[in-house]
Amino acid sequence: MIPVFLLALVVAVKVFKKTTPNGKITVYLGKRDFIDHLDHVDPIDGIIVVDNDYLKGRKIYGQVTTTYRYGREEDEVMGVKFSKEIILAREQIVPPAHHEDKQDLTAVQDKLLKKLGPNAYPFTFKFPPASPCSVTLQPGEDETSKPLGVEYVVKTFVADGADDRGHKRSSVALAIKKLQYAPPSRGRRLPSSLVSKGFTFSQGKINLEVTLDKEIYYHGEKIGANVTVNNNSRKAVRNIKVYCVQHCEVTMVNAQFSRHVASLETREGCPITPGASFTKTFYLVPLASSNKDRRGIALDGYLKDDDVNLASSTLIAEGKAPNEAMGIVISYSLRVKLNCGTLGGELQTDVPFKLLHPAPGSGDAREQKALKKGKSQERSRYENSHYADDDEDNIVFEDFARLRLNEPDD
Amino acid sequence: MRLLNGSSSAEAGLLAFLPEPMARTDTGGKQMLGWNHPPEHMGMVHEHWRQYEAMSIYWHLGLAMVYTFLMFSSLIGNGLVAYAFFTCKALRTPSNILIVNQVGMDMMMFVNIPWLIVNSVAGHIVGWETGCDVYAFFGAVGGMGSAMNNAIIAFDRYRTIAFPIDGRMSGKQTTALAIFAWLWALPFSILPMVQVLGGKFVPEGFLTSCSFDFLTDGDETRFFMATIFTWAYAIPVTLISIFYSKLFGKVREHSAMLAAQAKKMNMKSLQSNADADKESAEIKIAKIAFTIFFLFIVAWTPYAVVAFVGAFGDRSLLSPVTTMLPAIAAKVVSCIDPWIYALNHPRFRAEIEKMVPCLKGQPKKPKSDAASDSKSVATEATGDAS
Repeated sequence: MIPVFLLALVVAVKVFKKTTPNGKITVYLGKRDFIDHLDHVDPIDGIIVVDNDYLKGRKIYGQVTTTYRYGREEDEVMGVKFSKEIILAREQIVPPAHHEDKQDLTAVQDKLLKKLGPNAYPFTFKFPPASPCSVTLQPGEDETSKPLGVEYVVKTFVADGADDRGHKRSSVALAIKKLQYAPPSRGRRLPSSLVSKGFTFSQGKINLEVTLDKEIYYHGEKIGANVTVNNNSRKAVRNIKVYCVQHCEVTMVNAQFSRHVASLETREGCPITPGASFTKTFYLVPLASSNKDRRGIALDGYLKDDDVNLASSTLIAEGKAPNEAMGIVISYSLRVKLNCGTLGGELQTDVPFKLLHPAPGSGDAREQKALKKGKSQERSRYENSHYADDDEDNIVFEDFARLRLNEPDD
Repeated sequence: MRLLNGSSSAEAGLLAFLPEPMARTDTGGKQMLGWNHPPEHMGMVHEHWRQYEAMSIYWHLGLAMVYTFLMFSSLIGNGLVAYAFFTCKALRTPSNILIVNQVGMDMMMFVNIPWLIVNSVAGHIVGWETGCDVYAFFGAVGGMGSAMNNAIIAFDRYRTIAFPIDGRMSGKQTTALAIFAWLWALPFSILPMVQVLGGKFVPEGFLTSCSFDFLTDGDETRFFMATIFTWAYAIPVTLISIFYSKLFGKVREHSAMLAAQAKKMNMKSLQSNADADKESAEIKIAKIAFTIFFLFIVAWTPYAVVAFVGAFGDRSLLSPVTTMLPAIAAKVVSCIDPWIYALNHPRFRAEIEKMVPCLKGQPKKPKSDAASDSKSVATEATGDAS
């Protein structure tokens, strides 16, 4: 059994589906993660299948909304809502408002149309330019309400007109993610920083140089930071601290904050006495799993418990100012702190780097997949048991799992 | 006790239980205010009051009835909030410490309510000088403390709304602020008891309640009244208006920023339901902020005016009835406070609705149909998603 499924996983097209509570309408999406390639974003391509004779003159509309949540629900007082919803696109899907050309359809749509028959209708939505990426701020341990961040939802509903909201029984909502992947080439530049510190009452300086072994790291990779300390002062360096810092800028409320996502402290080579020097490469691995339950850690949009990773660095298209980025803007830096004793104070420097997923298809991506495989085998086995096996067309259907409980109606 | 001695008084009803006139100041056979105070306690009644006719039993009864009503509404409102806070763990948030502190302040005021009812029946303050001091002390602490607590709540709300991600105060901070509100109330509640710096607690109005002495002539009293006006009224009212207007400004700023971002995404603006939501949110905030501000003004302006007129103006304006009104206003607000603060709070409301099912829906349902409709779409969209 299992090997067959694994084989299917390799060659099959995986399709996500979700059916309305009344069972009359099913929405299929080719994927849940849509990649922002900076110059364009993957279109949201799907198929909707509706039961014969269900509509009776009514129409099916589809819409894409993004929700910004920038404050906890339980902190909402005085009628303030800490979430804002923007409808990015809304269109009539059934009956088709305009005839889509065959070539406009993606391969997945084509395949599904063939398979699902005459009651299937394609739909395509585009992310507007400059739409923010999906980010979830990890809630604290004791928090139960909806997490903060940027979310996207594709929703279809049955209604008589576009202003009609439709009914819950005939509506379906699918949470999707908009993500950025690393560019195909990682670049040759090695980020580095050189700082020095003098002291008020004594001569000489301590020089600190930090160089990273890459500019762009992939999630799960270890970051190598070469730290060189030259002590030309009369103070001694007591210890060295190295942090991976995640910087998070929430543009909706103009808030910025930083969190340490990995850190180490060492006394190796310490005290670095006057005249001495010290060089060593320290390694840190920033991982979401080592930051569980820490409030405010930014994660890439969070759909399922098992594929959580730290938020990817926000990339900005060439020719655009960094401050034009919207939503939640993520950046990383490696911070090295030298403790020069109680009177000496601290010497600190930050070296920026990027943390992303490798672009699919690039050699790096394959490499990383192989790395991950051992880990994910168990998981895919579990997932496979939930697939509706349909290898005729090599399409594997996966139900959209319900992650969160429905809110009580108000 | 003397109360049961019977009476030669011509008045009917309760006056039958009142003592023989002790210091009757007859002016054409009429009893003047303070007539029932024995000579040794006559000193606490300011000359000003003695020129008015004693209040009839009906006034006293009427006042007692008003206070009985206040007593129950205060008990129900404050009791519900305190009960909800102490039984429901989810409500024990840093911000809610301040709400409960408000209940504490209101309870200080509450202590005086049954006391005044007893006083009304007795026709004078029970406990004479000492009673007067204690009565006024509770009123002063409750009043000034709640003024400052109102300002602190405004500050907390400003922080929460202006900096929703990292601005919220910790439990330690809000506890410290709650204690600060009490400390704020203490100096000007204790000084009059020990009668330094020109402050004094004396009976006022119907002579059944006590408060600051604003009638004694002298610069000391005037200075004291001016200080207390600034301390207990001007400063809190300024803080409250500053924080709420800043808060309102921040909400507008956030809306504007979001609208700008929507525009960058080529969305005309925040469409449809989102747009409607934004509008109403600002109006809602303005309404609530204004209500709180207005309530504070209603509660304390009468008192401030009376005290000012007494200290600096034309005293003939201060009849017993006009001086009783501010006391009632302040007490009424201590009964409304819990409804404004806690029951306007979505989570408190939900908890209390759980405890008292009959409260549910009543005030909200009719008008919120349209609004909640669009809102439920929003929650549905996110809540349903997997």
